[in-house]
Amino acid sequence: MTSTVVVTGAGGVGKTTLSAALGAAISLRGASTLVLTIDPAKRLADALGIQELADTPIRIQGAGDMWAAMLDASASWEAIIHRYADPEVGRRLLANRYFQALADRFPAAQSYAAGERMAEYIETKRFDAIVVDTPPSGGGIDFYRAPAMANDLISGKLLRWLTGSNLPGRGLIYRFTAKPMLRLADAVLGGPMLSEVTDFLLDLRTMHDTISVRSRTIESYLRQATTIVATTADPTPIHETRRFFSELEGIDIEPRAILFNRKLPHSWLEAAEYPIRGVDDPAIRARAKANLRSWASEARRQSDAADEISARYHVPVYPVPWTTPPPQTLDALRSLVKDSRIVEDLGL
Amino acid sequence: MPLTRLVLVSGKGGTGKSAVAAATALDFARRGHRVLAIDMLGQAGLAAHLRSSKLQYAPTEVRPGLFAMTMSRSDALDEYLKVQLHVPHGAPTRQISAALAVLADTAPGVREIISIGKPIAEARTGKWDVVVVDAPSLGQFQSYLRAPRIIAELVPTGNVRRLARRLEEILLDGHVTSIQLVATPAELPILETTEAIASIKDDKLGPKPMVALNRVLTESGMAEPDLGLLGSGPLLEAARLQLDLETEQSRWANALEHSVTLPYLFGVFTPGEVAEQLADRIGSPL
Repeated sequence: MTSTVVVTGAGGVGKTTLSAALGAAISLRGASTLVLTIDPAKRLADALGIQELADTPIRIQGAGDMWAAMLDASASWEAIIHRYADPEVGRRLLANRYFQALADRFPAAQSYAAGERMAEYIETKRFDAIVVDTPPSGGGIDFYRAPAMANDLISGKLLRWLTGSNLPGRGLIYRFTAKPMLRLADAVLGGPMLSEVTDFLLDLRTMHDTISVRSRTIESYLRQATTIVATTADPTPIHETRRFFSELEGIDIEPRAILFNRKLPHSWLEAAEYPIRGVDDPAIRARAKANLRSWASEARRQSDAADEISARYHVPVYPVPWTTPPPQTLDALRSLVKDSRIVEDLGL
Repeated sequence: MPLTRLVLVSGKGGTGKSAVAAATALDFARRGHRVLAIDMLGQAGLAAHLRSSKLQYAPTEVRPGLFAMTMSRSDALDEYLKVQLHVPHGAPTRQISAALAVLADTAPGVREIISIGKPIAEARTGKWDVVVVDAPSLGQFQSYLRAPRIIAELVPTGNVRRLARRLEEILLDGHVTSIQLVATPAELPILETTEAIASIKDDKLGPKPMVALNRVLTESGMAEPDLGLLGSGPLLEAARLQLDLETEQSRWANALEHSVTLPYLFGVFTPGEVAEQLADRIGSPL
């Protein structure tokens, strides 16, 4: 069976880099590993030794059996339509001007497409392990909520609301677009928008049965996966981490670990208190000492934040050292998570 | 009547956008202006930075002269219908509102225009000297700026179209609107901000954005040769990190023109402290 690791967390904490680092560390253990990422930096592609990532997995040289692929949300939605919709409905949907808009901006669309992709790769059984870097929307939580949200959209919840009736068949549309309320709404809004949207939603609804089975499958894969929350000590990621734990609890998902990125060594805390020996030049000594003091206050803040979340949520916190510039080789990428032993501890 | 300034603050996620929006609002209020700060996503980031426990849709005074509010989809929708669209008296407002809510979830531009319509409507009341908006991060922010044009294309006639055209005019008017993008001097924030500035310019989505560079380290005065004198251990490690970060930061800072530089705050704990300290340093960009 494929083991799945989902790396989630606020934007800007280094999720993509950490996912790649975990993937590289897992493949080192001899597992065939896929890293499924969203929008990687040029430097990450460089570190992996490839020009750029593509929608189909590319093999990473010198990394054992490691592969990486990137997710293109609108391409994934087209694939979903082709797979689940009746050909004629599919053509109509793809031509509909609301479709592209929906694929691009329905907040959970990219997340749903990512979940679909993950499920596909799990089902091919081609990889022993898959590491998924989640889309940033909703602070990463959308990835977990997306299957239910897509199901809501497609199950006609909106349609029901719109028409005030139970789910209508296609033939009924003419009856309710003739309703005075809809005519008035279109008149106020200044166009046939509402009727067009209704049409679109009716087409979308034909995929209801398959999508709802599918979204339950994706949800069950998500519950079986190992969820890791990535954070840094900055106020926003810490705030998002708290929100994350409380919301994930509501949907029955328990993160197994926190990857605390850009963590400063604990040893700096004490060292800043001791007198400095062995530096003769007083000017250099003063500057180096002032510098260590500043960074030690940062280390203090980080360590308080890490202790607090670890105690509150009863999960282990694995520190990832602050390296700058970001990892530029596969080895550098691997060593990011090596010392923390997270891969061994969680049996990834 | 003096014009109200509309300041839209956006940036890549994780760069401190809400903190800078709060600091901007604090700075204007300290200078004696009457300020409204709006949290456009309703995600509590702005509230924390203003030391307010929870913001409402109705503006509340959080400091003397500084009011704050948060967007709420349903309140904004109702207000849009009643105040902006002038839905005729006696019309089934509740049902039209339900229909509009469906549109907002499905049709491009509708949700965005309702959200961006609110700060603009506030700016037009004449109640405020400055309206500061904690806007969504870069990608979503651009769809907000694009929304009026998309609506004008989708809707051939009527009030919605007229309203959309007016919003577009205000967004493009550099005397009223200014855009401030927050970035940190690192690869992804700088590249994504550069792209956003180019598309705002190329697609004429608004006035030329100003960039505030956040979390910039103060130079330590140490140099590479000094490291050899520091032996081993924390003293050397901290110096090494500082110098590496200085190199990395100056590389990316030089890659993007910026008008405000905000410091990396060492050991600062609460969002409220962060915003206060940034406000001390921000210097009104307008």
